[in-house]
Amino acid sequence: MNSLVQRFDTNNALSEIKRTSAIIEEDGDNVSDLMWGSYGGFGNLATGIPKFNIPAVPDPSAFLRLHTDDHTDPSCRIKIQHGTTTLAFRFKGGVIVAVDSRATAGSYIASGTVKKVIEINPYLLGTMAGGAADCQYWETYLGIQCRLHELRNKERISVAAASKYLSNLVYSYKGMGLSMGTMICGWDKTGPQVYYVDSDGTRLKGDLFSVGSGSTFAYGVLDQGHHWDLSDEDAQELGRRSIYAAGHRDAFSGNTINLYHVKEDGWKFIGNYDVSKMHYEGPGDIPGAPGHGYGYSIRTAGKSSADPPTS
Amino acid sequence: MFTILVEYAMEAISHAGTVLAVLAKDGVVLAAEKKVTGKLLDLSGTKEGGYGGSGEKIFLLNSNVVAGVAGITADANSLVNYARTAAQKHLYSYNEDIPVELLTQRLCDLKQGYTQYGGLRPFGVSLLYAGYDPHYKFQLYHSDPSGNYSGWKATCIGANNGTAQSLLKQEYKDDISVEDAVALVLRVMSKTMDSTTLGSEKLEFATLTVDPVTKKPKSKIYRPAEVDALLKKHDLAKKDEDAEMKTA
Amino acid sequence: MDSSFAITGKGYAIVAADMTVSRSIVKMQYNEDKIKVLGSHLLMAFSGEPGDTVQFAEYVERNIRLAQIRNTYPLPPPSAASWIRRELADSLRSRSPYSVNLLVAGYDLSTHEPKLYWIDYLGTMATVPFAAHGYGSYFALSLLDRYHDPEATVEEGLATLRRCIDEVSKRLVVTPGKFKVKVVDKNGVREVEL
Repeated sequence: MNSLVQRFDTNNALSEIKRTSAIIEEDGDNVSDLMWGSYGGFGNLATGIPKFNIPAVPDPSAFLRLHTDDHTDPSCRIKIQHGTTTLAFRFKGGVIVAVDSRATAGSYIASGTVKKVIEINPYLLGTMAGGAADCQYWETYLGIQCRLHELRNKERISVAAASKYLSNLVYSYKGMGLSMGTMICGWDKTGPQVYYVDSDGTRLKGDLFSVGSGSTFAYGVLDQGHHWDLSDEDAQELGRRSIYAAGHRDAFSGNTINLYHVKEDGWKFIGNYDVSKMHYEGPGDIPGAPGHGYGYSIRTAGKSSADPPTS
Repeated sequence: MFTILVEYAMEAISHAGTVLAVLAKDGVVLAAEKKVTGKLLDLSGTKEGGYGGSGEKIFLLNSNVVAGVAGITADANSLVNYARTAAQKHLYSYNEDIPVELLTQRLCDLKQGYTQYGGLRPFGVSLLYAGYDPHYKFQLYHSDPSGNYSGWKATCIGANNGTAQSLLKQEYKDDISVEDAVALVLRVMSKTMDSTTLGSEKLEFATLTVDPVTKKPKSKIYRPAEVDALLKKHDLAKKDEDAEMKTA
Repeated sequence: MDSSFAITGKGYAIVAADMTVSRSIVKMQYNEDKIKVLGSHLLMAFSGEPGDTVQFAEYVERNIRLAQIRNTYPLPPPSAASWIRRELADSLRSRSPYSVNLLVAGYDLSTHEPKLYWIDYLGTMATVPFAAHGYGSYFALSLLDRYHDPEATVEEGLATLRRCIDEVSKRLVVTPGKFKVKVVDKNGVREVEL
């Protein structure tokens, strides 16, 4: 019991070192006490605890911080991608997942064509915010584990279970510098599901989430336009319009929008949309679209607040 | 003592070149007589002034105000400089053209100060301000050396101002157009000025209107050639034989 | 933590500001009016450093009044906003700058147009159809990009404002609480209940 206390006491330097060495020395065939709490619901999932190579230094998180923290040292070699807007919401027609495609390193736009939706399997999508590499690596890893679950149990993993697996996984690395804010979205026996999972270890089930530096701007549009009985077209439009809003207002989000729709038979990629093109022209002649650019000045062209006396 | 100085200044102005202005419904018209001090004065440099006019009697104080001055030229230059600075200061603080009455007030506050403090001489200058602002649209003000100012529909300062005023009183109509005001100003001017014939070497002329496209005030101070063309159009120009006689 | 919003519509501008004064983790006051009436057709919402806000707002209020007494007519909204901006810009480079953010809204009687100016403590000024200060702006601006209508009636404008306040109340960790709302149009200034 004492060792358990030490393991979960993140403030204790001694426990951190012990945990680190425990992870390094752990035999993959052994069930680690790290996962025993989840054993009941997940069959032999618990054996899938990863062996993750960590820097062979006394304090790995300090080591990571030294080389990646771009606030205290802008000249450091490794910069972690922070600016992003991602969103996912549930409605009667399934789940809409929409993300931007910008990657920034400080004030520099490192890429405008990042795939922030990770296709875990045909029924599961994960979104990417925070550290790009962390998300990509662990969500791909999650995909492997989900497939193994399928093979072992002859049925697809539930969204709840998959997200719980990821949550437990990142939690075991808590305090070591992982940076992820993700939504695990899919359709299982219980219907459409969205879970928010982050590297703090938070895991939330919900109808509507947005994550990233542009999330507040996306929420502004998303919350106001969202309701359960949205049609498929209107829901897709809402996802697209919300990411546009963030791409427009948040300097760290933008370039293009990637839109996915999860239905009973799995996810479908709806399209990639240029934010600038959305501003001036809109998504074109498709159902749910406004028929003009999303931009304020385009939408209100020719309108005036002047109220001259009619004479 | 100081009131006497002001009286002197006023008296001096009544002998200065006439300045006359008429407020029309769609603009203001301003004309000024130049006193040619002698045939030997070299005027070649003033023939084509920068923004128009020869810059002796009519000045652009700000994009919305044109002023005509009568009195001591040196004092007038100082006041014009002060007025332009005041207008720019207003622009700096408020990001708008200075309202016409406010600019008039600024100058009058300065002028009044010189009637009050010891050891100083008043400005020997009267001014007519033709201006436009969104508050009262087109306006015409007059200020004298004491620092008094007043608004007018049509007025005149300088030599023969009494004659001009009575002529204006007879002929002025409310809602007169700029075009008619131009004719009126020229007509009165030709009757008040000593010389029988008018020409650009004796006359300065300006109008202030609103640009129909930009809705912004547009001042036009006529260039000497334009003054001559205007006089010719109104049949007040020098007779051709005069010119022939000169060249002959 | 204070939030303020303003929008323009057909012949009017609406200004809204939260009514809480907080210090540390405590709400000290919950019925504070943070919108000054600067003239018959001029409003100013102010927020920022406690102490500076009221001092600066009153300084502006008295000077705008002085200008009206001197000139007999009130400063039009563009001139008033320009003057206020200049005061902040000059203050920024002084020994003790005012840390105050403003939304200046008015009705311009000469152009029959509502006018809205977004001004921050650095002396930045922007003429805008809608504006917000504080954390509320992170939620409201994208919303207004989507829903604001320059030709909306007062009722429609208030409904859009309601959306902003609802959104902020829903998503912001510290709910701003009650809002004071004032409207300015050709008839002058009035307070409305949302």
